[in-house]
Amino acid sequence: MLKTLRIQPNGGDGLRPAPVTIFVNGAPTTAYPGETVATALLAAGSARFRTTARGAPRAPVCNMGVCFECAVTVDGRPGTRSCMTLVADGMRIERS
Amino acid sequence: MTTEHNEDYDLLVVGAGPAGLGAALEAAARGLKVAVVDEQHAPGGQIFRQPPGSFKQPEGGAKLAYPFGRELLRRARADTRIAWHYGTMAWGVFRDPQQECLRLGVSKNDAGAMLNGRALLVATGAYDLPVAFPGWTLPGVMSAGGVQTLLKSQFLRPGSRFVLAGSHPLLLLVADLLLTSGAEVAEVAFARPRPAIGELLRGWRAVPGHLGLMLQAARAAWNLKRHGVPLRFGSMIKAASGADAVDGATMVDVDRDWRPLPGTERHVEADTLVIGYGLLASTELARQAGCAVDYKPDEGGWIVRRDATMRSSVDGVWVAGEPGGVGGAELAHLEGRLAALDIARTLAAPGQRPGDDELDAVQRAIRKAHRFSDVVRDFFAPNMAALARLASGDTLVCRCEEVSAAEVRDFLDRNPHVSDVNSVKLACRTGMGMCQGRYCQHTTAQMLSEATGKPVDCLGHHTARAPVKPVSVISLAQLQDTLR
Repeated sequence: MLKTLRIQPNGGDGLRPAPVTIFVNGAPTTAYPGETVATALLAAGSARFRTTARGAPRAPVCNMGVCFECAVTVDGRPGTRSCMTLVADGMRIERS
Repeated sequence: MTTEHNEDYDLLVVGAGPAGLGAALEAAARGLKVAVVDEQHAPGGQIFRQPPGSFKQPEGGAKLAYPFGRELLRRARADTRIAWHYGTMAWGVFRDPQQECLRLGVSKNDAGAMLNGRALLVATGAYDLPVAFPGWTLPGVMSAGGVQTLLKSQFLRPGSRFVLAGSHPLLLLVADLLLTSGAEVAEVAFARPRPAIGELLRGWRAVPGHLGLMLQAARAAWNLKRHGVPLRFGSMIKAASGADAVDGATMVDVDRDWRPLPGTERHVEADTLVIGYGLLASTELARQAGCAVDYKPDEGGWIVRRDATMRSSVDGVWVAGEPGGVGGAELAHLEGRLAALDIARTLAAPGQRPGDDELDAVQRAIRKAHRFSDVVRDFFAPNMAALARLASGDTLVCRCEEVSAAEVRDFLDRNPHVSDVNSVKLACRTGMGMCQGRYCQHTTAQMLSEATGKPVDCLGHHTARAPVKPVSVISLAQLQDTLR
């Protein structure tokens, strides 16, 4: 099932810069400089960004830093809002 | 950032949307030393959010509903007099009696700093009104603003088949964007009844000066019709279904008071549910600074009280844009400029101080902009009480602390003397998680209102304390010598 899609607004290629590699729970994943971690995770098909204390799945709601539902661990720093964090080559992201 | 302790500014601006940018540019033009702090990585706020500079811009660039937006962004990017701090969170306002200045606690990644200012402008905007209904915590339920910013600034479509439910005109623009991106839009449901002819005629008061925006909304509606997207009125969200993510939405027809009509439930298949019932003013920083607020549900909940030149009740603190009442980008921009002019009347060098006529001109423009925002407000005001009734027994009211509607209602039943939302917070833990009540305070207040029979404005609001958003201990530790 196609859930998310990186759009090329003019139908053509080449709007995004050369890709970098980030690691999501250890797995290499393609991302583009300028993208947020939330975007890269959504584009990679992640429905679950984190799991609550009661075991429920959560994912981004507001995409502007208010809801904290998209929080993941970025380079060892837990509770980082993925919608407010830009990807960088080699970044390590852990979903819970 | 780490070396900026004790920097001194005339004006500190929090928020780089239309209000904050309008203020910063106006103040800098009067010779004031200005710093701007914003959590995003570029100017524009939510309304003018742009694709990152590393992306090639599509032909003609992203379209802005407000013609002044492009020029505002160009001037902001070009202005080197102003200290721009992007990717930076403002988490607290303090007063230094020795230096007779305000101190703004800021944090960027793990670096912390205090910025000193003689005046502070809070221009922190608004966020989508959260609505607690069964299934609203499932991945795939997103706010209209969230979906819009993913499309506009990241060129990402967060799903393939969408249902949009709400009462705010933003919903039309988002549905149109989704169609353009190639998505399937199953339906767009507005809770209010179809507007009557009389209402539409009164709406024409709003048109002068806002033709572009009205045309954009009309064009969006026409495009939806052309693609056969059902545009329903008098229909509202009831529940989202799904196990680990959304697989559909249950909609229900409602009467004029948004009361569900029995037997009208329908299930619509979708992988993404977009919710747009309105906006809440982001007042946490202003309230933490001590600014008095009033409850106006059709203007964004608890909003900051201001005088005719945007001064709050706290000496040295001005508030512009949505925290003083949700009214749109044009009004926010004008309010920011007015605040800066008022600040410049006392802080600018004598030769650069604005005259009364300059303030009068902006105030006239503000009155004109109100004609538009007031019409939008009347047309699309959310019915907060009806929305709060959507939360059934096990629906989570507080997403962060996972507190259900049943738990809150049970507490209220057992404690009929409770009459303020802070008590509910202390007893039930609603509002004690990461978002600090931004997503549950208004729902618990409505539930408390229902239980006590008292109006929401008599029930108070959460006390806002520093830090108003979670910050790392590391960034706070660096402030030991400057923050007491």
